[in-house]
Amino acid sequence: MSEINIQNLTRDYGSGKGIFNVSIQVEKGEVFGFLGPNGAGKTTTIRHLMGFIKPREGSCQIQGLDCWRDRDVIQSRLGYIPGEISFFDDMTGNEFLKFLSDYRKIKKDNRIQEMLERFELDPRGKIKKMSKGMKQKLGIAAAFMHNPEILILDEPTSGLDPLMQNRFVELIAEEKKKGKTILLSSHMFEEVERTCDRIGMIRNGKLAAVDLVETLRERHMRTYTVHLDSPELARDFAGDFNGICDGSTVTVSAKQSLETIFMNYYGGDQNA
Amino acid sequence: MLNMALYKREMKGSLKMLVIFAAVISLYVSVIISMYDPEMMKTLDSFYKIMPELMASVGMTAGATSLIGFMISYLYGFILLIFPMIFCILRGNALIARYADKGSMVTLLAAPIKRRTVAATQAAVLISGILLLVIYTTGLEIVIAETGFPNALVISELLKLNIALLCLLLFIGSICFLASCIFSETKYSIAFGAGIPAFMYVLQMLANTGKKAEAAKYFTFFTLFDAKGIIAAENSAMIGAGILGAGAVGIYIIGILIFCKKDLHI
Repeated sequence: MSEINIQNLTRDYGSGKGIFNVSIQVEKGEVFGFLGPNGAGKTTTIRHLMGFIKPREGSCQIQGLDCWRDRDVIQSRLGYIPGEISFFDDMTGNEFLKFLSDYRKIKKDNRIQEMLERFELDPRGKIKKMSKGMKQKLGIAAAFMHNPEILILDEPTSGLDPLMQNRFVELIAEEKKKGKTILLSSHMFEEVERTCDRIGMIRNGKLAAVDLVETLRERHMRTYTVHLDSPELARDFAGDFNGICDGSTVTVSAKQSLETIFMNYYGGDQNA
Repeated sequence: MLNMALYKREMKGSLKMLVIFAAVISLYVSVIISMYDPEMMKTLDSFYKIMPELMASVGMTAGATSLIGFMISYLYGFILLIFPMIFCILRGNALIARYADKGSMVTLLAAPIKRRTVAATQAAVLISGILLLVIYTTGLEIVIAETGFPNALVISELLKLNIALLCLLLFIGSICFLASCIFSETKYSIAFGAGIPAFMYVLQMLANTGKKAEAAKYFTFFTLFDAKGIIAAENSAMIGAGILGAGAVGIYIIGILIFCKKDLHI
């Protein structure tokens, strides 16, 4: 039985919006990347998993429990970072984390402190005055504080600087080692590439492909070998274009943009 | 059934508003009760003779002789209805719809807490606020009446009257709460939560002016709150208050059920 099991989930909002016949299985201990451009249906799918929306057609289960009916049971084992962070503006970060641990009735030995240190967040200020990145860090702390078995992360690194994005990637790798099941949505190929085992691509509400990261990378990376006049020039060229220098020969690889990859999958789709 | 952490947070959120409304009510109650004076009564009666419709529309009628009759005329027609009503509208909207609108409902629902518990806690917060306002008003009325006019106020009558008032206010609160549960956008929640009670109150004002407009009383729930009837121990007034109370319970429950079943695009 898959940890996260979405079957033929359909939600039609009319005029082509919504999600159509989406099926995803995520196994225990797996990091699944959910990739797609803005408005593709990532958040709609996640709302179903969170029990915010009732499936009209199809079903979704987490650990064999129905995401709508048993949502409160599922939530005790689940950590969630929403795509749009909106906390209680009237509270300070500390008050909010204190409220959450009382509200969820979780024990004192939680992971709040660890998260604050890891992401160098000072939670003393009012949430209203916090920057996007600080709110995002607070969201990460809130999602990990009760040490959940399953993590659903909707564009978790938005607003984080590259250093913090790296820390987040490290965190995901550690959690994966602990056997956590993670579904991570993103619109950035690089982010999922670094963290995920498998990637599902969604576009216009339809799941276009589910593939191993390696397969995708091989299929969509092109390598070029460039000969330059001198080794000095080659070294500079390699530095500028992130290539591998060998004498006066440089090997550079070009990744296709997400949109190009999608085009490959969709081929002659007139919507593309 | 209730989540104490949420209840505490929301009661703190009610506090500022409760203090403001208690202050406003204190001002009016103390000024109006201290105006109870046969001489002044004549003046007010003369106002009534000059502009009976206007005075009647806000529930003020002439010829109130006892202190409680005086209070019913000048407090229970406008001040003790409108201010708690504004409290219900503002808090009712803030408790559910504003969270859904702003998206911070995610915080409440991405936790192992049943939606039923969240909604019931928010309903309890609104009910607690109304209860506190009525209890405070009752205590204040007793203190002011006893200091100004010892033994003029029959406490048992006042208690009966305020229980009926409580039923009416709980009913108003339930409408605001229901609107908050149905609509995930603040503008609609406010439009219905404020619009329905306000419209009903306008109908009541119309009905009070008498004549042809009296038929309006059949279309407003304010008619079920019959303050004079409660004091006169009329059965119909008691039943009216009972209907308001029972209706309030029913509407709170419907609101909670709707919130449990609805899709939240948060």
